Amino acid sequence: MSSAGATPETLIRARGLTKAFGARTAVAGIDFEVRDGEFFGFLGPNGAGKTTTMRMIAGVSPRSGGDLQILGRDPDLDGAAIRAQLGVVHQQETLDQELSVRENLLVFGRFFGMDRATIAERADELLELFQLSDRAGDQVEPLSGGMKRRLSIARSLIAGPRILMLDEPTTGLDPQARHLLWDLLQRLKRTGTTIVLTTHYMDEAEQLCDRLVVMDDAKIVAEGSPRELIERHASREVLELRFPGGTELLDANKLAKVGDRYERLAERVIVGCENGEAAHARALAAGLSPESWLVRRSSLEDVFLRLTGRSLDE
Amino acid sequence: MSVAIGALRDALPHPTRWRHVAGYMLAVYRREWQGSFFSAFLEPLVVLAGLGIGLGVLVGDRAAEITGGASYVAYIAPALMAGSAMQLGAGEATWPVLARIMWVRIYHAIVATPLNPADVMLGAIAFMGGKVAFAAAFFAAVLLAAGIASQPLAALAMVGATTLTGLAFAAPITAFAVTQKSDQGFGFLFRLVITPLAFLSGTYFPVENLPPAVQGFAWLTPLAHGVALDRALALGLPLDGAWTHVAALAAWSVGGTVAAAVLFRRRMRT
Repeated sequence: MSSAGATPETLIRARGLTKAFGARTAVAGIDFEVRDGEFFGFLGPNGAGKTTTMRMIAGVSPRSGGDLQILGRDPDLDGAAIRAQLGVVHQQETLDQELSVRENLLVFGRFFGMDRATIAERADELLELFQLSDRAGDQVEPLSGGMKRRLSIARSLIAGPRILMLDEPTTGLDPQARHLLWDLLQRLKRTGTTIVLTTHYMDEAEQLCDRLVVMDDAKIVAEGSPRELIERHASREVLELRFPGGTELLDANKLAKVGDRYERLAERVIVGCENGEAAHARALAAGLSPESWLVRRSSLEDVFLRLTGRSLDE
Repeated sequence: MSVAIGALRDALPHPTRWRHVAGYMLAVYRREWQGSFFSAFLEPLVVLAGLGIGLGVLVGDRAAEITGGASYVAYIAPALMAGSAMQLGAGEATWPVLARIMWVRIYHAIVATPLNPADVMLGAIAFMGGKVAFAAAFFAAVLLAAGIASQPLAALAMVGATTLTGLAFAAPITAFAVTQKSDQGFGFLFRLVITPLAFLSGTYFPVENLPPAVQGFAWLTPLAHGVALDRALALGLPLDGAWTHVAALAAWSVGGTVAAAVLFRRRMRT
């Protein structure tokens, strides 16, 4: 535990971390650190290597190369001791559908060697915190997706882990359920739990993460706080020009005049600029005729686009 | 070197953690036991009543030629007890195992706790053994009550032999189940292995009535050994060769459990 004022302790440290499945390299020599009390994110599209990295940290997937230390231990040597201090929430549900909400917690606590009385006390606290107390005796199967996800997180916290690992925690949830979950996670962070999450949602990373790494194609392409990443890799504003007929015939010379830089997507051109309104005026002056346009502040989406030349949802 | 020790530690079961997996399965069973009660406990008795009485009449006086003096019902009852352990063990080792890997997926959550894949397999197979023992005790009580088994001590030994028979199927079939990517293979397993074995293993007629090559095959599988043990105990036949049967069943159980732990780890620790 770090004392106040000292440099926060590093809980996870990876150097040249690599994972290969046969000829395919899923994680290609990445470096990162997660500090005590931090909300840390892996942001990237599906297939970037985020889940594989999470599995190596969780001590369920032996690495192919590099160094990895979790809570000062090597998962290849002390997997069980590391896993005893982690809470893991998988992307797909792993709850027992036949047991009740509360039974799912009771059964799980036993895997961590807790005694029944302690588990029961902790289970009731978690059900309260995750707003599931009134469903405690119900079977899991008919619960909504948001409730199941909350129960999964509650279950992962049964033994009071040092680090909570969340793989795509809000994928498939409706907006209301997402926002409720974000609030709960932020409350959890304030109690001192270190949280590591993967996401392909920019807004989620921006809302939750103190620090994040952007992953693409098995590598880390950027690292920093959401604000730092936006300042470093994106302009202040973004002008989006829509061309439903396609963008491939647009004149590159004209596009280059509109703003500081641009990215050409299938039906949109994304222009990075200081002032979006002014950039739009330049676009019209250059003879471009988009069907519609909008101006917004830069987001992590633009960082990703800038770094990879691709949009996350493509 | 030390990495090899770490890998070994992850591959071997912990002395006690497996119990929590069995405890989890018991918690689930407590909720749904009514649904499986009929197939696990009552169905073998219905088969016994139907075949024993119906076929018994047909076999009639000729029964004594193969049973050595016992009635046909008394001849097949202990064999059906062993056969029901096979059915139950195989049933528990197929869909419920694959479901917890592929559909319910809770095994992915459990191997992310301090438990390793070997703990999970040991706990799961131990629970299957417990369930077979429970069904066998019920069966033995019925045989005692019906006067088919007369010695309580022998009936108790039958529970042990039957449980071992169930494990001798449950363990290797679990090892098969953890390698499957869909449940298609289970249909083949039941149609091509489990169902025919009942006919090859001395349930309805002595193994010795089969062609020699088929006899050899029958003794390689667990059921013939379970049938021989349960029948000898129920009918009070001489128990010579009993330890060979126990050893064969134990070999299937232990070998199957080791294979299940190795194959399950291969699947979960990729």
